Amino acid sequence: MIATRIAPLMRRQSTFAVTLTILLMLVNVIVQPAFAASGQIAPTLGTLAPFALAGMASTPAFLAGGGGIDLSIAPLMGFTNILLVTKLLGTPLGSPVLAVPILLAIGALVGALNGVIVTRLRIPPVIATLGMYFVLSGVNLDLVPNPVSASPNWTDNLAGSIGPVPGALVSVGVPLLGWAWLRRTAFVDALLAVGDHDATAFSAGMNVDIVRIAAYSLGGMIAGAGGIALTGLVQSADSQVWGDYVLVALAAVALGGTNMAGGRGGMFLSLVGAMSIFLLENLLTNLHASAYFIQVAYGGVLLIAILLGARTFTAAKEAR
Amino acid sequence: MSIEVGPRKRRPVPGPSVGEPVREPIVSRLRRNAPLLQLASVIALLLACGITISGFVSKSSIYSTLILASFLGVAAVGQTLVILIGGIDLSVPALISGANLISTWLAGKNWPFGLVVVLVLTCATVVGLVNGFITHRFRAPPLIVTLATGAVVTGLTLGLTDGGQVSGSPPGWLTRFSSPIGTVVGIGIPPVVVLWLLIAILLGIALHLSGSGRRVYATGANEEAARLAGVPTERVWLGSFAVSGVASALVGILLVGFTGQGEAGVGDPYQFLSIAAVLVGGTSLIGARGDYWRTVLGALLMTLFTTLLVGHGAGEAMQELLTGVLILLFVGIYGREQRVRDRV
Repeated sequence: MIATRIAPLMRRQSTFAVTLTILLMLVNVIVQPAFAASGQIAPTLGTLAPFALAGMASTPAFLAGGGGIDLSIAPLMGFTNILLVTKLLGTPLGSPVLAVPILLAIGALVGALNGVIVTRLRIPPVIATLGMYFVLSGVNLDLVPNPVSASPNWTDNLAGSIGPVPGALVSVGVPLLGWAWLRRTAFVDALLAVGDHDATAFSAGMNVDIVRIAAYSLGGMIAGAGGIALTGLVQSADSQVWGDYVLVALAAVALGGTNMAGGRGGMFLSLVGAMSIFLLENLLTNLHASAYFIQVAYGGVLLIAILLGARTFTAAKEAR
Repeated sequence: MSIEVGPRKRRPVPGPSVGEPVREPIVSRLRRNAPLLQLASVIALLLACGITISGFVSKSSIYSTLILASFLGVAAVGQTLVILIGGIDLSVPALISGANLISTWLAGKNWPFGLVVVLVLTCATVVGLVNGFITHRFRAPPLIVTLATGAVVTGLTLGLTDGGQVSGSPPGWLTRFSSPIGTVVGIGIPPVVVLWLLIAILLGIALHLSGSGRRVYATGANEEAARLAGVPTERVWLGSFAVSGVASALVGILLVGFTGQGEAGVGDPYQFLSIAAVLVGGTSLIGARGDYWRTVLGALLMTLFTTLLVGHGAGEAMQELLTGVLILLFVGIYGREQRVRDRV
């Protein structure tokens, strides 16, 4: 009786990541009881936010299929972080009401550019977004050769709390609500259809290119939000700090269970994936593991996630 | 849905007959396949460098350019094979930096350098085999798998060497091997350039004329069909990724001779450049189209382009940007994907 209930649960994409997250949460609390203290929750969530947003931002490109991937998410987060600190804060444009829309628009624009290169110029997504990765990392280095610390500003609340509410609930919650809303529209249905089989979607009358451009642009926009959350956390403009999120972004998607060949998955899965990676890092840091070992662990987790998800890949390939 | 036809174990088909092409006259084949655009671009860049950069037309600066191209060319050996079978290898820079650090580290501990080289190349082979195994057996995307193994390699090597602090120095023969003033049997050509030339000739011939080469193209064109035709596709995958690991580690060791020290992150530029050399040469990411001689031209083209930019004082950001544009241009000509409407 129980077995018949567990069997379908085991097949669900999210089961692995959810189980892992709960387990890691428990281990974290055992190793460091202060982890669950009420004063700790807001700053902990503030550190989680860039992880979560990096993973969420990488998701739409995968969902769009056709070898879709966006490697430029992490440097784009760095780019918006640098723009916010060096160009916007301290000017009339630096207030949240203006700065947030500006940065989201810049993120969406860069994403759309990726989308246009992929769909209109028909350049493989790996090449297009790897190219964008290097262009952005070059520009980042050019803008701030050395880290510039930010004067006190509103983003500090995002990493801490806004009144009684942890700021991360806003920076991650609003994009999640946006995704939840999009799922009720035709867009996500179209995205999943295109990702599952683009030729069929095309035959059914969908504009495959526009759907894909929109997917890359949505990813870029969330990367913009990630840049803001990152600024809240580091309170400086830094041309290196985004490097930590390159692997995290992909690992979060893989761990969450989104099918990297397209057509199945979503941002909630990536959020859970990002949470388990964050908890793993937190645990290793508390056990005084070196930064290098943490990198080995990231790579290992990414490999394990892929091996566990391997059956979905096989199914997707054989369907072709 | 895969359809199993007949028994899984098949009689081995004698090598050269696998997918033996219909021979066409060599002249018309050349006209169709020759990378004329790349050749013209390399010549144009050479002229541009020679005319606009003072001091470029000298033995030492041309040799230096050739040596840099050799490092890129050797790093792109495995990348070419892996892309030909329809994969991609992002663990190249991790293996270059890793081999660079570990060999200097062990040399600093007074290990005999010959043993160090064998050890490092063996480890790199294992990493390559792991890449090939996971991507083939589990059908996992090579992009993600190699990125992950790359992270593991980088973390391990940095952890072992305490963040890349290594004090060893290369033996004299290695320095001479990678130096612009090195000689081969008395002739004043840098040995590393000769090594690259030999690799290019042998690999080019192997790809075009040997059974192994045919199997690589067959696997890249249609793996399922190749398997049914008796090609051991798993061995082809494992072999290609293993070659990629070994070639990357070799570049890491050669770079110790060139720079005289171990350096964390020395492989980083090769992430993009090794893929760029392959794609700019005209080998397609879709697989089975292209060869190593095209990569040789691609490596020369990328190196000359960088030399030209540096010679004109372009900053790092400008270099990255223009290199990105160059690649989009060449991929736009050669490696474009099919339109969705053409795939219906």
